[in-house]
Amino acid sequence: MKKTLIMFLLLTLVVTGGLFANGKKETAPAASAAPAAVKKAEPVSFEIYYPVAVDAPIAKILNGYIKDFQAQYPNITVKPVFSGGYGDVKTAVQTTFEGGGKAPAMAVMLATDLYDLINSDYIVPLDSLLSTIPDKTAYLNDIFPSFLQNSKYDGKIWSLPFQRSAVVMYYNKDLFKAAGLTAPDSWDSLAADAQKLTIKGKRWGIEWPSGWPYWLFQPLAIGAGQNIIGDSDTTVYFNNPKVIDAVKFYISLSKKYHATPAGVQGSWGAAPTNFAKGSTAMIVHSTGSLTGIIKQANFDVGVMPIPGKVKGTYASVPGGGNFYILKGTPKAEQEAALKFAYFVTQPKYAADFSTKTGYIAVRKSAYNEPEMKAYLAKVPQAADTRDVLKYAGKELSLQNLGQVRNIFHKYLQAAYNGTMTPEAAMAQAQKEADASLKDFK
Amino acid sequence: MKQKKYLPYVLILPTFIFVTVFTVWPTFLSLYKSFFKQRLNIARFREPVFYGIKNYTQLFQNPEFINVLKNTLIYVLGTVPLTVLAAFIFAQMLNNKFKGIGYFRLAFFHPSIIPMVSAATIWMFFLTPDYGLFNSALTFLGYSGPQNWTANPNLALFAVMIIAFWKNAGYYMIFYLAGLQNLPTNIYEAARLDGAGYLRTTFAITLPLLKRSTLFISTIAFISAFQTIDHIFVLTKGGPSGRSTVLLYYLWQTRFENLNIGKASTITVILIVTLLAFTLSNIMLSEKKEPNNE
Repeated sequence: MKKTLIMFLLLTLVVTGGLFANGKKETAPAASAAPAAVKKAEPVSFEIYYPVAVDAPIAKILNGYIKDFQAQYPNITVKPVFSGGYGDVKTAVQTTFEGGGKAPAMAVMLATDLYDLINSDYIVPLDSLLSTIPDKTAYLNDIFPSFLQNSKYDGKIWSLPFQRSAVVMYYNKDLFKAAGLTAPDSWDSLAADAQKLTIKGKRWGIEWPSGWPYWLFQPLAIGAGQNIIGDSDTTVYFNNPKVIDAVKFYISLSKKYHATPAGVQGSWGAAPTNFAKGSTAMIVHSTGSLTGIIKQANFDVGVMPIPGKVKGTYASVPGGGNFYILKGTPKAEQEAALKFAYFVTQPKYAADFSTKTGYIAVRKSAYNEPEMKAYLAKVPQAADTRDVLKYAGKELSLQNLGQVRNIFHKYLQAAYNGTMTPEAAMAQAQKEADASLKDFK
Repeated sequence: MKQKKYLPYVLILPTFIFVTVFTVWPTFLSLYKSFFKQRLNIARFREPVFYGIKNYTQLFQNPEFINVLKNTLIYVLGTVPLTVLAAFIFAQMLNNKFKGIGYFRLAFFHPSIIPMVSAATIWMFFLTPDYGLFNSALTFLGYSGPQNWTANPNLALFAVMIIAFWKNAGYYMIFYLAGLQNLPTNIYEAARLDGAGYLRTTFAITLPLLKRSTLFISTIAFISAFQTIDHIFVLTKGGPSGRSTVLLYYLWQTRFENLNIGKASTITVILIVTLLAFTLSNIMLSEKKEPNNE
């Protein structure tokens, strides 16, 4: 009996040991397959990590595109790995690299992750891969420039925009009309309108979420005349007087005009619903919420960029994810992955993706597609979401992004909550951000 | 004869291998890495550079880290004793025979089978300012204080503590309930004949007999308080201004947002040492008070 037991246990060990060994072996043939796969007809398959935690059936849509792609390129197999949000995909890529596993050939991660991904040596520049496509220059010129801003570094292109959005202001046109108001065109008129449309205890004039505040704050800073980030990848402008002005304006909306709830607002998830059911007259949010808002609202929805400080000026900032090609994968897989990225950013697919998800199509020519024209006739606001790109500045992206962003959040929220004055908060944010960037200069 | 000698070792071998590979080895690796400066997002520090104990001294001199420790202490001391106490009270209440007992057991227990992320999402709705269920209930009871729970600097940590309490009390209750149902009824009968009241019975009989359950429950409650941060991710992201950032969340930020391997390893070591110190002292204290427990 005991002998059998011992034999059984030893056998278990051998089997589990074998599993580990197999796990290691698995990566070997893939790596050695690289030179053989260069020839065009050779079958090649690659993995793509894709975040799905958004308000649209992304997996279903993507699988449809993959089917079309594989029909056109029968030798290529795309293996999508759908998982969580942007952060989860980045974490998965990190742990794969550091654990010595085989990274996917491509992943969709935030456009702003650029510097971290380059420094960590996870991604490859796309320039040489892009030269394989027939209309490289025309293709890149057709992508909205504000979407391509976060793709460039060191004279190279590192990512291709795909799932992109921007900050916009949604306003209830019916309420504006009833109150005899027109869309605001400056901070002053925005504040005045918000104040007029507030009914105490019943309706707020405006809701401006600030639980994860840098993104929705940036249009304010740009509208004040100074973005928090410039061309340098190690300089921030947190304590610039114009940025402090922007912080003060946000605070004044509650403190002076009583047109929005006081303090930090963790209302990202609730704001679109609040707006659609009429309990707030305006919200600042992502273009990605358009489809949901239009579906719920029974009034005329207006979409516009955020008014700036000076009358007639406006601001916005882009957001969302890009295609990155990862290091360490065979050249054939990288080429196949780029082909796929190129394929799904063709005007037809860019238009389809935009109409199905509410994201802004990344290519200008996508708006000439018949499908898009039909959609715009039905949802004219979708053209407004595209048009805010004219006013868009650069999204916060620089060296050491995670840490700098956390520092900014900490002190911006301290100012919003009144635990520090805007001047003191921004001075401290600047000091800590500068210190955290010292090693990067 | 020989086989008998080796059998126990063979039996523990699989567990031993797994614990070594997945627990002991990473622990020592963290300890080792905590003496190096390594940052994945800085080219010249991508490979580790020896840094002595600077990671430790820098952390303990950083007011942000001290604040994180303070938050963690408030979180753990605020949730663990209360949750364990509530679990005990719930178990006592439900260790009776009355109509509809099944319903109440389910009511107390169901939060523990919901994943923490879902629980946090439900609570996000409860805690919504103006019309959230929690606020509506509080307003009905006469509360007129601030409603913006997750973004108010003085309430955010408290809000995530409420969720931890709601989520865990029912789970720990099950352990107490199992313990209570194993207690011999004759002692209670004897106590009743001797005229002992409810309080006397609870303190002189029930609690001492459930000592092992309490030790087990308080240990897992303590460890879970350090290790569960899903609700913080969903509700506050450590904010506002770091007011609800606890140790493990800070570790995640350091590792995956700041890409600082050295500091993250140091925080891991601090976390492990804290958990070990508590678990060992908890066991030693409870063994000490119970010399004849065999």
